[in-house]
Amino acid sequence: MCELLSPEGPCWARGFLFLATGLLLLSYLAYLVLGTGVFWALEGSVGVGVARDMGVRMSWGAGAQSPLPRSFWSLHHLPQDIIQAYKDGTYLLDNTTSMGRWEFVGSFFFSVSTITTIGYGNLSPETMAARLFCILFALIGIPLNLVVLNRLGHLMQRGVHRCVQQLGGSWQDPARARWLAGSAALLSGLLLFLLLPPLLFSHMEGWSYVESFYFAFITLSTVGFGDYVIGMDPSRKYPLWYKNIVSLWILFGMAWLALIIKMILSLLEMPGDMCTCSLHCSKGDIQGRSWSQGQEGEHRVQSPGVTSGTFHSGYAI
Amino acid sequence: MGSLKPWARYLLLLVAHLLAMGLGAIVLQALEGPPALQLQTQLQAELSAFQAEHRACLPPEALEELLSAALRAQAHGVSSLGNSSGSGSSSEASNWDLPSALLFTASILTTTGYGHMAPLSAGGKAFCVFYAALGLPASLALVAALRHCLLPVFNCPGAWVAVRWRLAPAQAALLQAAGLGLLVACVFVLLPALVLWGIQGDCSLLEAIYFCFGSLSTIGLGDLLPGHGRGLHPAIYYLGQFALLGYLLLGLLAMLLAVETFSELPQIRALVKFFGPSGSRTDEDQDGILGQDELALSTMPPDPPALEQTTPASASEQSPAC
Repeated sequence: MCELLSPEGPCWARGFLFLATGLLLLSYLAYLVLGTGVFWALEGSVGVGVARDMGVRMSWGAGAQSPLPRSFWSLHHLPQDIIQAYKDGTYLLDNTTSMGRWEFVGSFFFSVSTITTIGYGNLSPETMAARLFCILFALIGIPLNLVVLNRLGHLMQRGVHRCVQQLGGSWQDPARARWLAGSAALLSGLLLFLLLPPLLFSHMEGWSYVESFYFAFITLSTVGFGDYVIGMDPSRKYPLWYKNIVSLWILFGMAWLALIIKMILSLLEMPGDMCTCSLHCSKGDIQGRSWSQGQEGEHRVQSPGVTSGTFHSGYAI
Repeated sequence: MGSLKPWARYLLLLVAHLLAMGLGAIVLQALEGPPALQLQTQLQAELSAFQAEHRACLPPEALEELLSAALRAQAHGVSSLGNSSGSGSSSEASNWDLPSALLFTASILTTTGYGHMAPLSAGGKAFCVFYAALGLPASLALVAALRHCLLPVFNCPGAWVAVRWRLAPAQAALLQAAGLGLLVACVFVLLPALVLWGIQGDCSLLEAIYFCFGSLSTIGLGDLLPGHGRGLHPAIYYLGQFALLGYLLLGLLAMLLAVETFSELPQIRALVKFFGPSGSRTDEDQDGILGQDELALSTMPPDPPALEQTTPASASEQSPAC
């Protein structure tokens, strides 16, 4: 397998590659454990408190008045049914909003959350037919969504480049111009997609700013816990444009986030690049170029006869 | 089709996207609306019957209040099911025991986000945002690095087959992509679904497949989650949760590898390129061509013709090494 990676590269590069990848894996695991510990410490006591409170109230509800054994079990089963129904997406008490029902708005929102892989879970299909359809729908819809996001991100990046060029004239240093464009994209997007929308949400939904920001971030990163979902409060009136604006925000915000993550990745010197980097470090700086672009760069520089570079360029990013 | 202006292509892409979502909405509404309504009326009937039966001892508002509180807690992932029975350790077990917390952090980093648990405290929420902001690019970097190592391993059989059967590079690529896709589907969707179906008595095979697919595609609806909230033996519970964790991480990696291979296909590239910018490519275009979503999916590089010219060379030169 060694030959496949770099037949012409020195052996230390391959060893370095494996070591670096191993280190990365280890740090990833460590990061997981760190997060676990912190969440455990922060959340453990809070959750138990709420659950215990609920348990106390339910047993009080069953046993405080004239305790018929049947009433206890009924009280136990009825909330279980209601809660189970809630988990599967049927909200029983009060009227629910159109977002919480399988009507057009709710179903549309579900399709959006499926295609973008956010997956809130406030509505989830119960019938097997719907689940099968969901699988097929996602199989086709997710790549479609990715292509759309890709193009949107590209458009936004070009827009930013043009703005930067117009504002800054012609920069002598292209790397610096790229830095400027990158930070401009980051800051403007941060404002437009992460800092300002929570104001709208907190006004419309009655959440605090922190909760709205948390919702915005969890949605745009497609994690989508579902503990906060817009438009689910039956006691509020939502104007017609609200949900459309939110859908647009999700689309553009995700494209922007993908752009930012790509830029961050391009700033990191990838350990995987060391394999080909070892062949071309002498050929000038790979500084400030995306690692994937670095591979194309080296592909263009090389003659097609060199197998290692072309093998990677042919099959890699 | 090739003569469409770029803006027309963008428009076409957007319209297709909207149509797809609308279609999905209509179909789901048709499939799910009636059963949900039925369940709702049934539960309503149960509720009013219960209230009528116990009106003497249960004030009408008390039950509604209790249930609202229970549902609100459920929204944040705190289940009140099974807590009032007080059987041994399970009643005092926190939602946030170690395997669950680990699963939670994994669900953040893989962006699956089941939602069966969610941070309640403000500090937890803030940390969650911060953790994801750092962790997502890091996990993407990791996946990219691993992909760099692993893709040659998977390309090797494809190249060998291409030489043995004397296939054209395009056909070889197609075969390889299909093979990898099938492998990932079998090992990471069918096999775990079978295991889940065998272990858990109360879900059908289709439900297990649905769960595996939902996790792997990082949609993560969280409506079916194996082993959660049941009175299992602690060792089995721990094992189950760690197995789920491993499945999430490995499955995501495998899925990304398969998707990467698919996106390298000339047909897919042509499709993506159709929706991409046409005309002369400036320097900045070549910078930004490589779009990636949160899961670091790649698209085509700037000049496919040059690559297709070198791919046969690389394939034929690499195959003897396999």
